[in-house]
Amino acid sequence: MLSPWLVGFVIFTAYPIINSFYWSFTVKRYGAAARWVGLENYQLLFGNDDLLKALRNTAYLALIGLPIRIGVAMLCAALLARPRRGNGIYRLLFYVPAVVPAVASGALFFFLLREGGPVSSLFGLFGAEAPLWFGDPSWAKPALIMVGTWAIGDLMLIFLAGLVDIPRSLYEAAELDGAGRWAKFRHVTLPMISPVTFFALLTGMIGVLQSFDQAFVFSQGVRSGRLTGEPDGSLLTYAMLQLRQFQDGRIGFASAMAWIMFLITLVITIVMITTRRRWVHTANEGFI
Amino acid sequence: MTLRRIGTFVGQHAVLVALAIMFSLPFFFMLLQSVMPLDQAKTTDLWPRYFEWGNYSEVFRRIPLAIYVRNTLMVCVIAVIGTVVSCVPVAYAFSHMRWKGRGVVFILILSTMMLPFQVLFVSQYQIFSSLGWLNTILPLTIPAFFADAFSIFLLRQFFLTLPEETLDAARVDGAGEWKVLWRVVAPMAKPGIMAVAIFQFLFSWSDFFGANIYLSDENNLTLAVGLVRLNTAAARLGESNLTMAAAVIFVIPLIIIFFFAQRIFIEGVTLTGSKG
Repeated sequence: MLSPWLVGFVIFTAYPIINSFYWSFTVKRYGAAARWVGLENYQLLFGNDDLLKALRNTAYLALIGLPIRIGVAMLCAALLARPRRGNGIYRLLFYVPAVVPAVASGALFFFLLREGGPVSSLFGLFGAEAPLWFGDPSWAKPALIMVGTWAIGDLMLIFLAGLVDIPRSLYEAAELDGAGRWAKFRHVTLPMISPVTFFALLTGMIGVLQSFDQAFVFSQGVRSGRLTGEPDGSLLTYAMLQLRQFQDGRIGFASAMAWIMFLITLVITIVMITTRRRWVHTANEGFI
Repeated sequence: MTLRRIGTFVGQHAVLVALAIMFSLPFFFMLLQSVMPLDQAKTTDLWPRYFEWGNYSEVFRRIPLAIYVRNTLMVCVIAVIGTVVSCVPVAYAFSHMRWKGRGVVFILILSTMMLPFQVLFVSQYQIFSSLGWLNTILPLTIPAFFADAFSIFLLRQFFLTLPEETLDAARVDGAGEWKVLWRVVAPMAKPGIMAVAIFQFLFSWSDFFGANIYLSDENNLTLAVGLVRLNTAAARLGESNLTMAAAVIFVIPLIIIFFFAQRIFIEGVTLTGSKG
C-alpha cells in the first residue's frame, strides 16, 4: 500500500532533498555547476541580522496568529456542522476568501485600511485615531494577523470534515449524563477532533514558515510609497528572505537557509509529537 | 416554537449573517470593481456609476479562455484522481495497519513537507527536463499519482478518528486489508476524502508557479497563467476593472464546485449518525 508513495518519494523528493543538502555547502547559481565552499553559507547566515529579524517575525505570526486562526476556524465549523437550512450558503460565503485570488483581496485591504478609508472613518466615529496599518511596524503585524484570520476557509473545511465524522451517539450519551452545551464541546467534540487539530497546528506552523504572499503584499505597499515610510524589513519573514535568495539565483545560500529552517521545524514537530499523547485522542493508541 | 427558541434562532442567524458578510467582502468588492467603467476604476469609489458589462467581453477578447479552461480542467481532474487513488491506501497503511518502522517512516513523510518548495523545485526541473516532459502537463499531473505528504497526513488524521472495532469486525468476517479499506474505511471517511480532493483541485486550479515554469506553448497554458498575464498587462494601464473581471471568471467555477462538494458533509452526518 505504500508503494505509490515510495516510488514518488525516491524520484521527486529524496533526490532533490539530497541535492539541496549538498548545494547548501556550495556556491551555486541557475544553470551553473556548484562550487564547494564548506560551511561558509551557514557562517554568513548566522552573522546576518536579516535572518534573526525574519525569525522573530515568523515566530510572532506562529505564536499569536496561528492559535487565533485555529480557534476562529473551529468556531465557524462548529456553527455550520449540523445540517440546517441555509448552511450550504453560509459555508460557501465563509469559504470564499480561500478561493479569491490575492490581487483581489490585496486591493480590498488597501481600500479598507488606507488613510481616510472606511476603517479609519470607523475609528473616527468613536473619536479615536486609526493607526497607520501599513506604515507603523507595531501595527503591520496585527494587521497581517487580521488578514490571515479572515482567510481561514481551508482550516474551516478540515474541521468541518472532522466534526461531521463524530458519531451522534456520543452526544446522546453525554446528554443522558446531563452534559450541557459547553460540557459536550469540551468532553466530546474537542477530544474527538483532536487528531484534526493536531494536523491543523502542524501544517499551520509549516504554513507560517513557508507562506509569504500576505506579508509580501503588505510590505509591497510599504515599499511602493503609497504608505508612509517604514523600512520594508519590518515585516520580513523567513519565506520572503528565502524567496529573495532564489530570485537572486543564490541557490547554495538559499539551500543553507532552508536546511536551518528545516531543522528548527523538525525539532518543533518532534516536540509536538512526543507531547501529543497528552492531548490527542486516537481511536487506536500506541504510535504517533 | 417557544419564544426562547425563536430567540436562539434569530441570534444564531444574526451571528452567521454578520460573519458571512465579513468573509465574502472581497468577493463583492471584486464583483463591483469588475463592472466599473475604466475611468471610475482608477478612483477609490466603491459603487459603480453604471454597470459596464463590456469588461467581461473585453477579457474574452484578450485571452483564449476556452482553451485555458480546457487545459486547466484536464490538469485538475487528472491530479485529483491521482491524489485520491494514491493517498488513500498510503494513509490507511499509516493509520490502521501495524508494521515495523511505521513511526519513523511517518516522520520522514512529515519532514518532506517542511522543506520549502523552491528547494525541491530546482532538482525536479532537471528531472522533468531530462524525461522530456517540459511543455506538457505531465509535470503538473504525474507526481500526484505518487501521494504527497500533505494529503497523506490529512487523510490519516481522518482515518484515525474511525473506531478500530468496526474494522476488526470486517477483518473477522475474512475481509483482506484492501477490502477493509474500500468497503469500510473509505465510505466512512468520505468527508475527509472530499476535503483532500477539494484542496488538490483548488491547488491545481490556481497553481501559477508550476504551470508558468513547465508550460510555454500558448495552446497548453492554464487559466492561472492566463490570469496573471492579463493582470500584468492590465496593471500597466491601470485597468483594475479588467483584472477583477478576469478574477471573477477565474473564481466562479471554484465556487460552483465547492458548493456541490460541500453537500457531502451533510451526507457524512447522516451516515455516521445512523451507524451510531
